[in-house]
Amino acid sequence: MTKTENTVIIKGLTKNFDVRFKEAGLAGSIKSLIKPKNIVKRALKGISFTVSRGELIGFIGPNGAGKTTTLKILSGLLYPTNGFVQVLGFNPWEKKPEFLKNISLVMGQKNQLWWDLPAIESLKLNRAIYEISQKDFTERLNKLTDLLDVGNLLSTQVRKLSLGQRMRLEFVTALIHEPEILFLDEPTIGLDVIAQQKVRDFIYEYNLKNRATILLTSHNMNDLLDLTKRVIVIDSGEILYDGYLSELVRSFAKEKIIKVYLAKESDIKKFETIGKIIKLDLPYVSLSVPRESAAVAASEILQSFAVADLTIEEEPIEGVIRRVFKGEMVKQS
Amino acid sequence: MYLKEKWSSKVNEMSKYSQVFKISLQDEFVYRLNFVLWRLRNVFSIFLVFFLWDSIFSVQDRVIFGYDRVKILTYIFALMFVKAIVFASKTMDVTGEIARGDLSNSLLKPLDYFKYWLTRDVASKTLNLSFALVETTLLFLILKPPFFLQNNLISILLFIVSLLIAVALYFLILFIVSSSAFWVPEMGWAIHFIITIVILEFLSGSLFPLDVLPKPIFSILSFTPFYYLIFFPIEVYLGKISGGEAVRGILISFVWVVILYLLMRSIWQKGLKVYQAYGR
Repeated sequence: MTKTENTVIIKGLTKNFDVRFKEAGLAGSIKSLIKPKNIVKRALKGISFTVSRGELIGFIGPNGAGKTTTLKILSGLLYPTNGFVQVLGFNPWEKKPEFLKNISLVMGQKNQLWWDLPAIESLKLNRAIYEISQKDFTERLNKLTDLLDVGNLLSTQVRKLSLGQRMRLEFVTALIHEPEILFLDEPTIGLDVIAQQKVRDFIYEYNLKNRATILLTSHNMNDLLDLTKRVIVIDSGEILYDGYLSELVRSFAKEKIIKVYLAKESDIKKFETIGKIIKLDLPYVSLSVPRESAAVAASEILQSFAVADLTIEEEPIEGVIRRVFKGEMVKQS
Repeated sequence: MYLKEKWSSKVNEMSKYSQVFKISLQDEFVYRLNFVLWRLRNVFSIFLVFFLWDSIFSVQDRVIFGYDRVKILTYIFALMFVKAIVFASKTMDVTGEIARGDLSNSLLKPLDYFKYWLTRDVASKTLNLSFALVETTLLFLILKPPFFLQNNLISILLFIVSLLIAVALYFLILFIVSSSAFWVPEMGWAIHFIITIVILEFLSGSLFPLDVLPKPIFSILSFTPFYYLIFFPIEVYLGKISGGEAVRGILISFVWVVILYLLMRSIWQKGLKVYQAYGR
């Protein structure tokens, strides 16, 4: 049997939601109860992409762009309105056991751990549900708890854990069946910087060691910068960009940043004629200039000021993405 | 070879749901005080009903709707036991699981949601039943009510069958009512309150024996599933319904189990298509 290299195939996927329209206030509530008015919300407007085995892909998009909807359709939770969806050779919606045994969806704001019991009980339940042998279970549990540094938390009641501890245990529980595909929805939301890093390191390791396919959504740029090569930018249910993150920056950063360290005080006003001052913290000055005239601007600065140091840098990725969503980027054909 | 595989998959299936059973029991035990208070409430409500009827029938030889003191007190004691088995259920929580989106957790796993809740229900009933047995014995010793112990084996057998059917009916009704949360998540609890608390209590015979109702209404009720939740099993136990009549009742209620099961499956399939996996 040949294994398909494409673990995820989506063609022309659309998803519409019926949303009950409700006017504000009590009167509105009563009105909607008596005469419900539904409006159709088009969450996905015909998106297509494929993912190969072992890829780690990031979804970028503002709230309500359709990222989570996509993940929920891929994991079989939502019924697609139209289009073709195939994951690991299965139609996710059918929820075949062989399919479910090989996927996992982790949501930063949802948990599967039993709130009132220690995490080990939820793990034992998953062991039975996924039909994992005792030997495999012990091995994987040791490995996962080591990686995430939560071995000593297994027998603490879940409600008593901190968010970061709980999230890491969620990962252990979600991965105890070693899924081939992992869908992560905002995995680092609400975590402190150290916990974020632990989770990120773990995702990286898991992707590498198991050759697992990982699809990840995040608003945290560090997640994407650290983990993903390929990103899919999605907004209002449409894919705006699908390709390397570095490529995105290169082709869509319209500006460069010139950072100057002045050797002595001078007339700052003159900077304004060269470019846009984005940060002023004397003796440091940061300027944003159009990409094509960066070299000219730099030489002008060197001629006009006493400069101790000068660097030309790429625009930060957040800025690029922000502009993408402002509609400055034209949809790729 | 094939048989062996089939066997091992059966074993896995069993261990899946036995683990669900175990974790459900553990979960119930977390709120021990809650549980004890809930049982205490049951005991009090029995006291209340008992003394209410006892005082109504305190006048010698009073007969109301064909019930005298002994008959009504017997009904009430049987009621307590049957109610503990049939109405002790966690399945109402399905409403919340759908509305909050917690259903997603189960849908993502190779697990049959229907069997999962059936198992949780059995766990809850096991626990409640064991407590109900102790309570009933204690109350029996304290109140010393006139009680009728059935010794006809056929009646006992029919009673057990009717009880199992009642459990299945109640479970299916709860599952169907809970599915309303797919369409009107914010009204799930209101619908539960109206249907499972008000209507079911009233029509099942858990407040009063149904045969006190006017004959035509009583006859119509005997064709609905509600009749078979509480009233029918009790009457079978008391031997008031027996033989062909009991078998007929069991057949009617079994047909209802099949109808409700098919209805539940079809509603559930439609519901999953509109499910929005909320929670984000």
